[in-house]
Amino acid sequence: MKIQQNYTNDINLKIKRRRWMNVGAIYLILLLFSVLFMGTFLFGAMSSLKDNPSKWPPTLKTEQLSLKNWIGVYILARQGGAGGFFGELKSGHEVSLQITYKYPTGVEIIPPEAIIPKRFKGAGRAALDLDKEFTADFVEIKLIEEISRTSVKNGTQVSYKISIVNSSQKDFDELPIDLVVPYKVKFKKATFSPNRIERLGMVQSWNNLVGGVIPYIFHNHFRVFNENYSRSTGKRLFTTWIYNSFFITIVKVITTLIFASMAGYALARLKFYGRNYLFVLILFSMMVPGQVTFISNYLVLRDGIFGFTKLFGGGSLLNTFTGLIISGLVGATAVFIMKQFFEGLPREMEESARIDGASTYQIFAKIMLPLAKPALGALTILTFQGVWNEFFWPLVVLTSPMDKFTLTIGLLSFKNTYASGAFDWGPILAGAIISALPIIILFIVFQRYFVEGISFSGIKG
Amino acid sequence: MENRWSSLKEKTAPYVLLSPFLFGFIVFFSYAFIRSLYFSFTDYDLFSIPNWVGITNYINLFKEHLFTRALRNSLTFAIIVTTLQTIFALLLAVVMNQKIRGIKYFRTAYYMPSVTSSIVITLIFMWMFQRKGVINYLLTLLHQYGLTIGVFLALLAGIQFLLVFKEKLRGRQVEYLEPSYIILSIILASIITYVFKDFGIIKPIEAKAVDIFWLNTREKVPFWAGPFAFPRPLGAIMILNIWTTVPTFMILYLAGLQGIPKALYEAAEVDGAKGWQKFWYITVPQLKHITFLVVTLGLIGTLQMFDQVKIIGNQAPLESTITLAYYVYQSAFPGASAPKVGMASAAAIILAVLTLTVVLIQKVFSGEGRGLRD
Repeated sequence: MKIQQNYTNDINLKIKRRRWMNVGAIYLILLLFSVLFMGTFLFGAMSSLKDNPSKWPPTLKTEQLSLKNWIGVYILARQGGAGGFFGELKSGHEVSLQITYKYPTGVEIIPPEAIIPKRFKGAGRAALDLDKEFTADFVEIKLIEEISRTSVKNGTQVSYKISIVNSSQKDFDELPIDLVVPYKVKFKKATFSPNRIERLGMVQSWNNLVGGVIPYIFHNHFRVFNENYSRSTGKRLFTTWIYNSFFITIVKVITTLIFASMAGYALARLKFYGRNYLFVLILFSMMVPGQVTFISNYLVLRDGIFGFTKLFGGGSLLNTFTGLIISGLVGATAVFIMKQFFEGLPREMEESARIDGASTYQIFAKIMLPLAKPALGALTILTFQGVWNEFFWPLVVLTSPMDKFTLTIGLLSFKNTYASGAFDWGPILAGAIISALPIIILFIVFQRYFVEGISFSGIKG
Repeated sequence: MENRWSSLKEKTAPYVLLSPFLFGFIVFFSYAFIRSLYFSFTDYDLFSIPNWVGITNYINLFKEHLFTRALRNSLTFAIIVTTLQTIFALLLAVVMNQKIRGIKYFRTAYYMPSVTSSIVITLIFMWMFQRKGVINYLLTLLHQYGLTIGVFLALLAGIQFLLVFKEKLRGRQVEYLEPSYIILSIILASIITYVFKDFGIIKPIEAKAVDIFWLNTREKVPFWAGPFAFPRPLGAIMILNIWTTVPTFMILYLAGLQGIPKALYEAAEVDGAKGWQKFWYITVPQLKHITFLVVTLGLIGTLQMFDQVKIIGNQAPLESTITLAYYVYQSAFPGASAPKVGMASAAAIILAVLTLTVVLIQKVFSGEGRGLRD
């Protein structure tokens, strides 16, 4: 009896263990796929923080994500007189950078030479900043002082303290610095890591000693906003594009919701001449590529919808949001989704309302629409995603000025802005990540609707 | 009077409800479609009055090298991407169709590539496909540690086989890919590989960095495929496109999988069907409708591929990436030279006809009696 009992226990334990191992194997596979699907984004997002995202070999190590650097940046920014997160070099303040070099045996130990360079930021801004006041003209390097010297293998390790003082009456938001050492002298460490090490390690260069932690981490993201200004209005282009994208998306979502449910209801429940033909045509239109219709649509907008806009004193609808919106009030797919949904609802309520004397409009507004909430939820998300990500049609309609661009077209223009010569991938990646954020947040919050939306447009019916 | 008014209101109701949609549908689809068809038989250039030229445009198109290249690229792209993404989506859906804790989070994570815009994804991929980019770096690592990985995989297969064989000798029913043994095999194989490496029996190869031009090249891959080879930049776009579309189609398949009656699998198990037999004889046929939908949507999507070509732009030779959709755009808005709207429209009509034909052929071959999405 006891042996029997032991035996059963044994088997139970084995089954249990096996089940756990099965689950473990599945999780392992799932994790591998996660790396495949998410890794790309995360790595792109991390690299968008780097000074040079194209550095070879690519590595996960990001200076901008090291606690040691954050502390160093914070301390320097505090010395500058403003906050540690958003820093400044205020009048009368002094900042001091500590830096350690290794001098190999045989190399003469001389302190590094410090230069405050005059740098322009980006191409777009430089044009507007001709009378820029350079920090270099107002602050001075007070002293370069040796603070310690220790013997190490094959050489000497020497630490210096470099103090910079702002004795002018002005405050500055940036303080770049270049340190030059003789050849073969090795940079070891500093209060925080330099942004670049150039010329075989002879030059260590910092973009901004007093910027504060946030601008330090999101350096490229700040560049995206700060370096692109509109030629005509002087406003920040990237902010304008975000605003444009939100405006167009929200308007189109609203028109789509209203008009798609109206048309969907009519197609699903009302009898009228040519209903079936219309439905076949809608299906047909869903298969026809946008490239077939865009030339005519371009002309229609150019001529102000057959000259109709002239009645209101308008002209061409090219390069206007009106044009972009009016040509995409409601898509065939949206109507299709709503039609399929309304067809799936029971008829009883509608019929009894009709017997009670309700009109078609009343039935639609008071009975059908409230029932359509789940479909409308899915449709909202689908439309938002579709319009936010739309590329081809805005590319055709919005060509100039750059103030009129949506985010997708604006990002495309980044390829020109930051690719004269070598690609400056930092701001390009940063811009891409920022523009994906709203949709990713929306997705995380409403992911149920995303999945439902796909099923609605695909499976139902 | 009151009655007549309300009766009129009822009669016109469908048209009133439809009117906003019909406005757009007539002006921006029907009219545009017919006008494109008309333009395709003219020499229109956006500015002067169009002249009727018959089918000259269509004939000229097939004489133009760039167009035939675009046609070929589009077809290759559509066939390869649709096939691969359908297979991957199905396999991924089967893996994801588990009732374990946290599966929802994984689904969310996997779906991420499908919600972001083509420009974001393409820019990130362009960065990864650089000469000194992530993809080439991973390939370099693969080259350097190829032997190590090979030894590991061989050990893994060997140990797994031994474990399963041992169980089989005892007369137990075990599958060769039994997951619980795989874990054990992975652990054992890792330990042995590590020991080998530690004793210097296997060493990473001192290889140069892989230097593949992914975008800026006219090279064709695979080199042995002869006339069926396609430009490597197109291959890069294929990889990126499969990566972004698989999750969407996976969700369609998941919904389908949940609709398959459990009884079918139970009956098959009673008859002694193994894992892959169940997959091949139950899952695949039961998902036939979904597969039709996935293939149709895939074909429509891939034949229209435009964004990636435009975004990659001059980073790759135009000839290597051009698709029909891009050809149409490029002919209508060529930048410096005069727009060839006639040619563009003809190419667009060919693209539309091609899409419809491919979907129809697909429908006939899959034996799907019902209409699209029906």
